[in-house]
Amino acid sequence: MNFSNAYAYPSLYKRITSIWYRHFRVYISNFFSNAFPPFLEPIIFLAGMGIGIGAYIQNMGSMSYVLFLASGLIVTSSMYTASFECTFGTFIRLEFDKIYDGMLGAPISPGNLIIGELLFVGTKGFFFSFAVLFVIWIMGIINYPLSILSVFVGFLTGVMFGVLSMLITSFVKIINHFNFYFTGLLTPMFFFSGVVFPIENLPKALAFIAEIVPLTHVVRLARAFCVPGSFQAGLLLDLLYCVVFTIVVGWFAVKGLKNRMVT
Amino acid sequence: MGEVAIKVSNLNKTFNSFKAVDSLDFQVERAECFGLLGPNGAGKTTSMKIIYGMTEPDKSKDTVINIFGFSPGSDALSIKALSGIVPQQDNLDIELNVTDNLLIYSKFYGIPAKEAKTRIEELLAFMELQEKAKAKVRELSGGMQRRLTIARALLNKPRLLILDEPTTGLDPQVRHLIWNKLRELKDKGVTILITTHYMEEAFQICDRIIIMDKGKKIIEGNPRQLLTDNLEKYVMEIYGACRDESLCLDFFKENGIRYEFFMDTLFAFCSDSSVLAKFGETLGNGDYHIRRSNLEDLFLKVTGRSLNELQ
Repeated sequence: MNFSNAYAYPSLYKRITSIWYRHFRVYISNFFSNAFPPFLEPIIFLAGMGIGIGAYIQNMGSMSYVLFLASGLIVTSSMYTASFECTFGTFIRLEFDKIYDGMLGAPISPGNLIIGELLFVGTKGFFFSFAVLFVIWIMGIINYPLSILSVFVGFLTGVMFGVLSMLITSFVKIINHFNFYFTGLLTPMFFFSGVVFPIENLPKALAFIAEIVPLTHVVRLARAFCVPGSFQAGLLLDLLYCVVFTIVVGWFAVKGLKNRMVT
Repeated sequence: MGEVAIKVSNLNKTFNSFKAVDSLDFQVERAECFGLLGPNGAGKTTSMKIIYGMTEPDKSKDTVINIFGFSPGSDALSIKALSGIVPQQDNLDIELNVTDNLLIYSKFYGIPAKEAKTRIEELLAFMELQEKAKAKVRELSGGMQRRLTIARALLNKPRLLILDEPTTGLDPQVRHLIWNKLRELKDKGVTILITTHYMEEAFQICDRIIIMDKGKKIIEGNPRQLLTDNLEKYVMEIYGACRDESLCLDFFKENGIRYEFFMDTLFAFCSDSSVLAKFGETLGNGDYHIRRSNLEDLFLKVTGRSLNELQ
């Protein structure tokens, strides 16, 4: 062994992608158990809601109810996977398994580590959205070619809910407290962000709240890709919201988590 | 004096109002093994973490921390690129197997895949873990996990190896194996910074040590030199000494012997073992024991025998 070579640390790109690769490697090492449920869940959901509720409600505005629901599920699957990953997952890596401690012994900064993880969560969101989209295609609910682009909204959703969940994680001292986040924030968002019914006719106060929370905006973006002829200028505002939300919340999340990694 | 690898001066760290490290100064030369000793809560781990940027020191103008020319405040990545870190608590990636732990970590250092592969084989052999290459981390014993953590710290062929209590909780075989490997690394020119509270460990591998207590440096030097300079050569331990205390004390006073009580044991220190042996004859068999004084006696002399609130 030779103990005298150059000791330059890797480039920023390499540092971030090496973290991404670590998560990817862990994910594919349990490929079957990780890759199967994302396909199964939309089948169950669409079959249940489509056959059950769809028998009573054929149309939702200008589209079929099943299409309306399916185009929303593309992002909620990403929302849930990102939220689990960056609450329980991040917390366990931080507090119980001390995985971040290990990583930070290498030339990786806390910021690199968090951004690499967020990119992975985006990738996971991308994959989960793809799984839903795939099921929708097979079931014949959508045959619009442009809908393939909605997987990128899945990526964006993953990153957005990744930063939000990490911000929550930076405050949480006891793992059970995540229940408040899931029950108090994600569940209402699922119902009041235009996934299962349109928000346009909600009471004013609720409609206003729906505009504040992040899910509403990504649902709109995803649906625009899934329903022919639904593009409109207002979607740029939704996109702007997503970008600003990710940057602002992401900045606080990095700051908060960094304080828990470096004393 | 050789080239300086680590220079620390006026290092302070306060957690809330607790002073964990108090005006610490020390300097480590290249290819030297330097030990930080002290009871729990003495500030050893905190000092170590400051060196590789995991803990931020109190801000002060005259604080100097120089690690191979880099400062942890502005250049922690450079320090970590040239160092190998073995923390007090193993933090292996339990979601990956043994080889993958090293493979992923080699990516963090930017080591090309092909080079990493040979390096990993070398290191698994060096740490005697070849048979466990595909094992899950959870399946490894404590000693194996420790060896894997050390192997991980050697992936980048570090110039500086930082070890925080590397052999705590391990059996004697593994401890000796690790000491051997550390000596081997030192011979190759690796600078080693180690914390321990095993006095034997310090004696076995450290060229120089400092003993810390309550965040402060108390004593510094070569372990053997520290012993000869600060302690009598022999110690006599007398058990149940309280029974005939006055008998003992009179003898000690007459012969100018330093002594200490701890619970019901009396420790008498003297450089001439025959004086102690002579006194032993007046005691019953099995009531006493004469031995060479060691680093542990020195440690207890300078940090005190009673427990502090952090132990």
